[in-house]
Amino acid sequence: MKEDHLQEEMIICRCQEVTEAEVRQAIDQGCRSLKGIKNRTEAMMGLCQGRTCRRLIERMLSESPQQMPVTQSYRPPVRTLTLNTLAEAEEGGENAC
Amino acid sequence: MHADVVIVGGGVIGNAVAFYCARAGMSVILIEQQDILNGTSSACDTAIHLQSKNPGIHLAMALNSIKKYPALQKEFDVDIHFTITGTMLAIQREEQWEVMKSFADRQKAAGLNVSLLDPAQTLAKQPAMKGAELVGSTYCDQDATIHPQNLTKAYCFGAMKHGAKYLLYTKIRSFRIEDNCITGVDTDQGMISCRWVVNAGGVFAPFIGKMMGLDIPIVPRRGQILVTEPVPKLTNTIVNCAKYIAAKFRPDLLGNSVEDRLGIGLSLTQTERGNLLLGGTREFVGYNTRTTRQAMVLIAKHGTAIIPALKQINIIRSFAGLRPYTPDSLPIISTVPELKGLVIAAGHEGDGLALSAVTGEIVSEMIAGKPLSSGIDLSQLSLARFSREDIDRFYHKYAIA
Ligand SMILES: Cc1cc2nc3c(=O)[nH]c(=O)nc-3n(C[C@H](O)[C@H](O)[C@H](O)COP(=O)(O)OP(=O)(O)OC[C@H]3O[C@@H](n4cnc5c(N)ncnc54)[C@H](O)[C@@H]3O)c2cc1C
Ligand code: FES
Repeated sequence: MKEDHLQEEMIICRCQEVTEAEVRQAIDQGCRSLKGIKNRTEAMMGLCQGRTCRRLIERMLSESPQQMPVTQSYRPPVRTLTLNTLAEAEEGGENAC
Repeated sequence: MHADVVIVGGGVIGNAVAFYCARAGMSVILIEQQDILNGTSSACDTAIHLQSKNPGIHLAMALNSIKKYPALQKEFDVDIHFTITGTMLAIQREEQWEVMKSFADRQKAAGLNVSLLDPAQTLAKQPAMKGAELVGSTYCDQDATIHPQNLTKAYCFGAMKHGAKYLLYTKIRSFRIEDNCITGVDTDQGMISCRWVVNAGGVFAPFIGKMMGLDIPIVPRRGQILVTEPVPKLTNTIVNCAKYIAAKFRPDLLGNSVEDRLGIGLSLTQTERGNLLLGGTREFVGYNTRTTRQAMVLIAKHGTAIIPALKQINIIRSFAGLRPYTPDSLPIISTVPELKGLVIAAGHEGDGLALSAVTGEIVSEMIAGKPLSSGIDLSQLSLARFSREDIDRFYHKYAIA
């Protein structure tokens, strides 16, 4: 009993304070993709952008009966930078990224 | 499987329609090719905006919709964070002042509470603008913000509570059409017979239309947004600028600079967690949802020029979403004479959150054959308002290889 309770309260995404139970609930509601978990729970959207929690969530998804292939891209910036630094940066061309 | 109503698309619009139909007692199945929130409804800002709406049916729909959220907030099991914040539209140049004044005058006549503020009044309301060169602003105290993902989830869970079924990660193979009437949807989860199909596919609505032999004039209009680290309350209101309004409604009035071609216009909101969402662009680049360095730099330049207090704040990510854009920027909420049993509810451009509640209500009343409680004139939202030539010209103009 006590252990179950601890599981429920366990935080899986520290940056966003999303619990394992919240991720479990999303999976139970039919979510089978990382993108879906992100949209439903806001996990993986914090300061570290999922570097800490993504692996754990991938594992939960892969253990669920109807798993999907995992495809999710990382978006820039990979390091944080201030708006001022960005505002003073070179624009680059139409297709620079 | 059988349902009164099959809804295609699990964005904010499809889920709002599911909620209103299920609550009215209809049996509902919603089909989504991925998970709910797969499209634009999770790649957007948080504004329930009135001041960015054109006086007329556009503003009337937004006014009707915004009145519904406080009651929905009480009814929903999910917290949608509906908060009345007001909006400030910053005016940077003399020549914008008259245009914004007449826009504000027309909005006032339509019942919106808009006032013109001089630079001192602007700064008093928005200290984060200290140091910016502004000629003033317009301000409306009725606009609100909302949690976009939670809004869609709230409609979804509410619909499920009223018995709606969701088929996620489901592929539609074809629509069953008999005697010019849609009678079913064939999916990889089986055949669903139904009386109504609602196309709520957002920017994908034209592809769903094609499967029924219909041309629906919607193209994607990309918006890029920067997200900052959480910071203490920086803004008391939503902030936009005069250029944002021009980019939204009159891109033809913009010049030929890189900024103007990307449709750069300021949008700034702050979430409950404290993250700032700083935008944005309005670009026609097909179904490309990448962010670009060029736009990110220009968004940062424009944003920090109007709100210098942003300068020392870190950004942690960026994203882009596709607004479903129609030739006149109004959504298509329409039945189709040549195809009975079909309702289109798509093309809400940058207003889908704001207009979701009124759209859900309208579609459920159309299907029930009831007079519309909103009194909205559906002819202005019909697919038939576009002629064959309008549609061809539109696709030609935005044709993307
Ligand atoms: C940068 C940006 C900022 C914005 N800010 C705001 C704002 O502040 N306020 C506001 O009101 N609006 C805003 N918007 C606009 C708003 O996000 C959209 O109008 C709204 O999300 C559109 O919702 P939708 O349900 O029509 O489309 P979507 O959310 O795209 O949903 C369509 C769904 O249909 C599914 N689908 C498509 N084809 C099929 C198929 N064949 N079978 C099954 N499923 C299918 C897709 O997977 C998708 O989930 C913004 C948009 C952008 C891009
Ligand atoms: S731990 Fe989840 S985003 Fe950082």
